[in-house]
Amino acid sequence: MITARWKIGICTVLAIFLCASAHAHVGNKDVYQTVAAGPYKLFVTVRTPLVIPGIAELEVRSTGAPIHAITITPLPLTGEASKHPPTPDAMKASSSDPAFFSGSLWLMASGSWQVRLNIEGAGGSALASVPVPAVPTKIMGIQRPMATMLSVLGCILVVGAVGIVMASVREARLLPGSEADSARRQHALIAGAAAFTLCVLAVYFAGKWWKVEAADYRAGMHRNSELRTTLQGNLLHLSIGTFDTKNDGEWKQVENAQFLTDHGHLIHLYAIRWPEMDAVYHLHPIPDAKTGFSEMLPPMPPGIYHLYADVVFRNGFPETETATLAVRPGMTGAPLGSEDASAAPQPISAGPLGPSCRLPDGYSMEWEAPASLKANTPYSFVFHLLDPKGKPAEDMQPYLGMPGHAAFVKSDGTAFAHTHPDGSAAMPAVMLANESSGIPMTGMDGRSEMSHSGAMDMSAEPVSSTVAFPYGFPSRGSYRIFIQMKHGSTVETGVFDANVQ
Amino acid sequence: MSADLAHTQPLLADAAAARTHALLRTAVPWYIWAGALAVTSAFIGGQWDVAWHRSIGRDTFWTPAHMAIYACGVIAGIVGLYLVLTATFSRSAYASQLRKVSVNIFGLRAPLGVFLAGWGGIAMLTSAPFDNWWHNAYGLDVKIISPPHALLILGIRAIDFGMLFLMLAAMNRASDAGDANYTSLRRIFLYLGGLVLGGQMFFIMEYTWDVAVHRVIAYVCLAIAVPVVFATISQASRFRWAATTISLIYAGSIVAFILLFLLFPAQPKLGPVFYPVTHLVPPKFPILLVVPAIALDLLWHRARAWKFWQIALASGFIFVALIFAVEWPFANFLLSHASENRFFGTIYFDYNSRPDGFDRLRHFFRPDSGTTLCLGLLWASLYASISTWLGLLFGRWMRGVQR
Repeated sequence: MITARWKIGICTVLAIFLCASAHAHVGNKDVYQTVAAGPYKLFVTVRTPLVIPGIAELEVRSTGAPIHAITITPLPLTGEASKHPPTPDAMKASSSDPAFFSGSLWLMASGSWQVRLNIEGAGGSALASVPVPAVPTKIMGIQRPMATMLSVLGCILVVGAVGIVMASVREARLLPGSEADSARRQHALIAGAAAFTLCVLAVYFAGKWWKVEAADYRAGMHRNSELRTTLQGNLLHLSIGTFDTKNDGEWKQVENAQFLTDHGHLIHLYAIRWPEMDAVYHLHPIPDAKTGFSEMLPPMPPGIYHLYADVVFRNGFPETETATLAVRPGMTGAPLGSEDASAAPQPISAGPLGPSCRLPDGYSMEWEAPASLKANTPYSFVFHLLDPKGKPAEDMQPYLGMPGHAAFVKSDGTAFAHTHPDGSAAMPAVMLANESSGIPMTGMDGRSEMSHSGAMDMSAEPVSSTVAFPYGFPSRGSYRIFIQMKHGSTVETGVFDANVQ
Repeated sequence: MSADLAHTQPLLADAAAARTHALLRTAVPWYIWAGALAVTSAFIGGQWDVAWHRSIGRDTFWTPAHMAIYACGVIAGIVGLYLVLTATFSRSAYASQLRKVSVNIFGLRAPLGVFLAGWGGIAMLTSAPFDNWWHNAYGLDVKIISPPHALLILGIRAIDFGMLFLMLAAMNRASDAGDANYTSLRRIFLYLGGLVLGGQMFFIMEYTWDVAVHRVIAYVCLAIAVPVVFATISQASRFRWAATTISLIYAGSIVAFILLFLLFPAQPKLGPVFYPVTHLVPPKFPILLVVPAIALDLLWHRARAWKFWQIALASGFIFVALIFAVEWPFANFLLSHASENRFFGTIYFDYNSRPDGFDRLRHFFRPDSGTTLCLGLLWASLYASISTWLGLLFGRWMRGVQR
């Protein structure tokens, strides 16, 4: 039996790990996005590199009108360089599957990028753009075979250099045909020793230089902003800040004006009780005057919660800030907000949940779960909301401007992704990408226009009770999936488990 | 019959040796031409590669610029392998002559320059997987000077110097013997000296751009990198106008690149693109090294009786004083509208040159002044003196190289 203190300790360690590895989402570097461009429907997967500058791999699967060719161009999401696209590259069509294309993108700087896709096909030309947040996230160690090979070649170079110096002192200045005397041979030995010493010093200083370069790279690696929390009663206060490297590392709060509105809110907060994931809340704290956010928490069972706070910066760069929160027993709670959602599934240790989720009001949610799931493979996960009679729910409403929201959370806490039917890219980033590419913005399967404020223009078109989320699990392991859909005024949260190979 | 043969064969061998010897005294050996070609190929490849990165951005192993750089290693490898195999294992008259002008390293025989070039080739080979790993660990090239690139440049420079030594030994022997091919060999030697100077300037390019020459660091870099080459080539070649000649070769080649690169269409294949580019971006206008070079050539001619340390001290201060006196105001000109034409090439920028960057704005990058500048120039003069002294010593030593 793990005590509460141990749980807190474990969660703290996990939180530290999460903070170190988090960026857009947590532990999910790749982008999975569906795009409707004219008559063409594309499922775009962008596998971003671990180091920047680096090469991202792009895969496109087409399901709409036949496509003849796609060219791709990487360019920043905002700023002067977003106006000057480099020469586009042609994607390569698969010889066995003409609807599948692959290509590479060179990302030369960290930050908020987009890939512009120019599509030529039976339906004419069309343009699409997908946001790509790119940051270096890893420092690769040197592998043993490489280290051995470099060491051997290095030794050959040192021995060779010593041999050359000795020969140059011993024989280089001798008249043709003559032999070196003993004095020259002795000088050669001394020169060889000096050359060896110089080589050793050169290797030593080269090693120092290498360390400096590695430290420079490490210093330039992306670090998420830090989420700090205080809880008084049930009033949760959130502060997002960064360490000012120019000012002795002083922690400085990010102003709320630096964030873009995403689905009508500046911040989307998931609170998941850890480690059983048996309580989940999707909340929307209200911005304070200049910095920080506040939320009157609903009644929550006591325990340690992992907090995942999604924000999007003005340049379109999304971050998921992480923290832990301890909720004490007996905390009184406020009613859940109209746009908030919660669920209380069985603990993860009680066994995996199936593809059908019974909801508290008699409705149910069904997942068309694939027979097997593989890591780093793009899927379109389809969910249906059924009424108590088992028929498709008819009173569907958009939830935060979308047919549904999904959160994929790995049970060891190393991966979290909050995605939408359009994909894993943040909606404000999609809007910036489309704006810079001159693409009219459509949402909800291309049926409704999105306003520039970030909120959806609620279309009169009905919302389907079936929703699909493009996503790929980043690694093997068990995941819990939280799906939110709305009917009438009720926000439902279906919970499913997935075992990924 | 057998007695006749016994008489005839030595006579034939002597005749072959005599012919070989005569040929060596009048013609420039093929491997010297091949060596000069190898060094030229690396020099062009290096400039081309930088222009490629500044205009197109993306490269692969197979870009023409890379091929030109690797051709240097391939040519040097072929030359070296032929000379090592011939000098070590062949029994021909030519091999016999070659052995007499060879050194012995680990049982292998060849002229010293061949081993130096071979070492450079191994260094280049080592840098390739190292660089590949570096890209995977720390990202694709953003800096010219990184540890694997430094090893690559060191390898190329070793090949340069290997070929230079190959030529030098032939030139010294021709000089001592009064051979007819001495003048040709010296011309090639000076030409290679010009490329070596170009290589030095390539290495310090990031510190000597026009917008950076109002900084002390530019003069410190020049003081360390240039006088050593001037003094070495001057001493080794015994030519009165050696420094002037090689500085003109350097300047002429860079101006040629400025004019030629503009003729090759190129478009960026990488973002972010801040400046639309339509052709290969040429190098920056060369530093006016010819002015201190003329002064040093004059000084070294008149100061032949001086001690090396005296010559070095005077040369260091003269070098820095003159390069500062001409380059500082010349940079003002380069940053003015008056220089905005094809010849000076100040109207061409990298595709990723930001509109608010110093280069695009034509503003000096953090210029130094006052005490910082004066002290910096003083230090630079001392560095230039040491650089000259090392060059004088090395060049004088090189004069004696026979193999």
